[in-house]
Amino acid sequence: MTRSHRLTGAAMTLLTGIVLYGFFALKYPYHLHFQEQYQLFEGTWDYFRTVAAVPGGFADWLGRFFTQFCYYAPAGAAILAVLLCGVQWLTWAVCRRRTLVVYALSFLPVVPLAAFYCDESALMGGAVALALSLGAAALCTRISRNLPRSIVEAVLIPILYLACGPIAVVFVLIALIDALVRERLRAWPAAVVFPVLTVLCPLVANHLVAYPLARLATGVHYYRLHNFLPGMLWISAICAVLAVAFSYLPMKERPAKRQLFPGIGLFLAIAALGAVLVGRSADWNKEEWMRYDFMVRMNMWNRIMMQADRKNPDNPTTVSCLNLALAKTGRMEDHQFDYFQNGPDGLLPEFIRTFTGPVSTGEIYWHLGMVNTAQRFAFEAQEAIPDFQKSARCYQRLVETNIINGDLDVARKYLSTLENTLFYRRWARETRALLDAGKIFESRPELARAKDLRLKEHDFLFSDTEMDSMLGLLYVENPDNGMALQYLLSWCLLKKDLDRFVEVIQLLEAPQMPKSYQEALLLRWVLTHNDFEGIPAYLSPAYIQRISQFINDARADASEETMRRKYGDTYWFYYYYRYRTQPQ
Amino acid sequence: MKRLTRLVFAALALALAACTSGMRHAAPAGCRPPIYPDYTGVTIPTGIAPLDFALPGADRLEIRITAPDGTALRNRGKSCTRLPIRKWKALLERSVGDSLRVEVAGRIDGTWKSFDSFGIFVSPDPIDYGLNYRLIAPGYEIYSHMGIYERELGSFRQKGLLENTQFDGCVNCHAYNRGNPDAFSLHIRGDHGATLLQVNGEMAAYNTKTDSTLGFCVYPYWHPTGKYIAYSTNNTRQGFHVQPDKIIEVFDLDSDLQVYDVEHNQIITAPQIKRKGIWESFPAFSPDGRTLYFTAAREVQIPGELPQSQYNLLKVSFDPETGTIGQDVETVVDAVSMGKSLTFPKPSYDGKYLMFTLCDYGTFSIWHHESDLWLLDLETGKTRPMDEVNSPDTDSYHNWSSNSRWFVFSSRRDDGSYTRPYIAHFDANGVAGKPFMLPQRDPVHYYLKLYRSYNVPEFVTGPVPLDRIRAQRLIDAPERVPFGFRWSD
Repeated sequence: MTRSHRLTGAAMTLLTGIVLYGFFALKYPYHLHFQEQYQLFEGTWDYFRTVAAVPGGFADWLGRFFTQFCYYAPAGAAILAVLLCGVQWLTWAVCRRRTLVVYALSFLPVVPLAAFYCDESALMGGAVALALSLGAAALCTRISRNLPRSIVEAVLIPILYLACGPIAVVFVLIALIDALVRERLRAWPAAVVFPVLTVLCPLVANHLVAYPLARLATGVHYYRLHNFLPGMLWISAICAVLAVAFSYLPMKERPAKRQLFPGIGLFLAIAALGAVLVGRSADWNKEEWMRYDFMVRMNMWNRIMMQADRKNPDNPTTVSCLNLALAKTGRMEDHQFDYFQNGPDGLLPEFIRTFTGPVSTGEIYWHLGMVNTAQRFAFEAQEAIPDFQKSARCYQRLVETNIINGDLDVARKYLSTLENTLFYRRWARETRALLDAGKIFESRPELARAKDLRLKEHDFLFSDTEMDSMLGLLYVENPDNGMALQYLLSWCLLKKDLDRFVEVIQLLEAPQMPKSYQEALLLRWVLTHNDFEGIPAYLSPAYIQRISQFINDARADASEETMRRKYGDTYWFYYYYRYRTQPQ
Repeated sequence: MKRLTRLVFAALALALAACTSGMRHAAPAGCRPPIYPDYTGVTIPTGIAPLDFALPGADRLEIRITAPDGTALRNRGKSCTRLPIRKWKALLERSVGDSLRVEVAGRIDGTWKSFDSFGIFVSPDPIDYGLNYRLIAPGYEIYSHMGIYERELGSFRQKGLLENTQFDGCVNCHAYNRGNPDAFSLHIRGDHGATLLQVNGEMAAYNTKTDSTLGFCVYPYWHPTGKYIAYSTNNTRQGFHVQPDKIIEVFDLDSDLQVYDVEHNQIITAPQIKRKGIWESFPAFSPDGRTLYFTAAREVQIPGELPQSQYNLLKVSFDPETGTIGQDVETVVDAVSMGKSLTFPKPSYDGKYLMFTLCDYGTFSIWHHESDLWLLDLETGKTRPMDEVNSPDTDSYHNWSSNSRWFVFSSRRDDGSYTRPYIAHFDANGVAGKPFMLPQRDPVHYYLKLYRSYNVPEFVTGPVPLDRIRAQRLIDAPERVPFGFRWSD
């Protein structure tokens, strides 16, 4: 390539890196946080040995090492951008023909790879495995003598399979292409031995490690979910091989001047394809939910409400995060129905057997003072992680719940593992020091608070169907637990159980009448009386007037959209137009 | 040159000083060493792996183990001993029927301290080849990585027999016939649910649910002839406490007993072990195969009356020639009158004793901190708590060695959460020795880093010939051999 072509190529790589960084750091950062919170990377030999013992384990270990930096999304985005550009550069490094068109073609594997990492289950080990395989191929193509090269390649096949898993087939295919082009018919030993070794590797591994053959042949740790072929990763691997194969095709070399525009054109076409594919692969609903989950984790209550003001959350998990933020900032009673609500599941989502939902739901129970339930949700979420990894975030919560429960040995056990991590070590060491000094509750007010709020006198088995009783007991045992009362009242409102709501509101010594409660009481009055005569004085005339209008509009068969525009911030609108599980 | 020589000599002298035994110059601590695991005064078999231990707080450790004939084994370590297996075994062979004397010195805060020596009694009673157990996180409903593992007791070797990395599901309730590895029953739960039975090298996957029985087979116990397996069938639910001292509750909403006829592939049951209003569970055959022990409780309303759900030990006769279940059900231990609930009845294979667990209520004694092991003398009918092995925390699931001279049980005494296997000697007079924790090469590190509990530890007399790949194929395949059914005559 000419110097100008080299510069053009470098600019392409740089531009790709910047775009990838910008996308992951600015548009898609919560997926990176998500990745980080479902792993627990320990900087110990034991950890390395355990992870690397499975085919693909070394790449997986490196991937996990990089993933831990996603604790800071910009750092994770930078690593991902470098990794993806590294795949492009290594593809180029293997290519035989050194033209700008081939350079542009080397971006082809980056496209599906970028789309792959829009999926929250895609693990970084996949790209690392591809990069390692391409790197090994690049090194081998540097060996000019045929026999030594073939021997090195044959030795490397099982080693790469062990280190990178089945994606090492990229190395095998490139080695075969290289051998066939260089040696033609004399390459038959390689053409026989390499495929045989490639097939043998998973077959032998099947007898050595406890994984099914199908997973050993398609990858154990490229994707978080079992029994799911990471299609985009494999397409990327195929693209890398095709790009390399293209560079080996005997073609007439064009003059350098006439390569510039085709090269740039091809690059732009690939970039456009990438934009389309990434756009289609990005899941913005999940990104939004992950954003809420992250903000709950970091106690960013005001930011949650700012986000909700920009775009109303509309699934149970995000709505539950918003409701938690409203409760934590004392705005639930007045503003809960300013936002979209669709049933009690948006207050306390039901337990589901996944690794995602229970994490943020567990946060709600933690703030309510239901320590055992918070512990259960953290433990279960962690156990549900499909690739059997652990979660540093869950470990932190388990440390806290075990300290509150007095299980200090268990708390220290979790701390011992967190002390082996990069970003949680400091917290773990501080916590251990406070535990040893007996000052944990003085120094960690959130623990002292949870210990105070938890149930001490009553024992019962947690039940999704008796949430109101559990919240009631929390408040009865500890009248300072205002959040439990808010949740109880909100639970009644969201379930449209106005009788129970009226029962509960009497628990308040001096009834405060925030907006939602006034609206609920007014609605119950309307449902049980013919007029407003004798209505309690604490119900505002302004609300009485508004409910009258609401009734009139409803009787005039105003459309739901009209009603939403006029009364969308009221409990009445929720009561009649949302969470329609029963006939009104 | 002279200066260099002096320097070399000085360095050598320093190195020698560093290597000098700390034990010799240690100040007496005046107490027994607080070693982990606590192996002081335990009784061990000759076929056990080295009892490596650590001295918490010490950065250097020196020990000397002396056999009765004066042969000594010395070992040094930073934080933990690392006893050579061959020398350890030779020492044990020399000490059969007598005690080893263990001296421990440790450097604590820069000062060497020597502790009072303690004894380890080496029993002449042999122990079985190994242990089988399930390793699973002590969780709630969801399970991460888990499996059935085999540990050779004479070494530190552990191998996975079947793990859930191979298929989607959970493995549980593995049972052998008196430790015989050639015949086993193993339940798989989840989408690929099945019961794997291996008899005479033939393995098959069964559907144990029949139209005439409550559900799938649970809690297996082999008949000594190998021709039958007693199972319970339970409609089980889980609940989660809100109080700090209680975490998980597992309870039955209904349960019955049944006996599986291996030769005829038939479930046999009878009205007297399938009574309405009575929950029968945890079956176990007597060593002569003519009695079927089990637990039973009166039906209560769950969850309100869960604390009143208490089980007694009952028995019914069984005719192995015809597979007939006797008519008369007899109460053997009235735990309810003691305000307790009885679980896991396990008769010793010599037919003299029956060990069980007592807890306050229910069937999930493995999560009850008050659970203790109890012993029933089958000749006198007297029961007693096994104070020599019990701890303030959970001591529950137990199993006998094939010669009934050892038993293994799981205990949460270590940290209150993760169960660890303890092995205890059991002498001819029915007295147990002090139990010892399953030895590990670096026990502090191993148990600290192990986030899984030992579940259902079982002795095996040899390596289990389980073909992992074939088992996986059977589990993944949709075909299941259905169990037949017949009523007992």
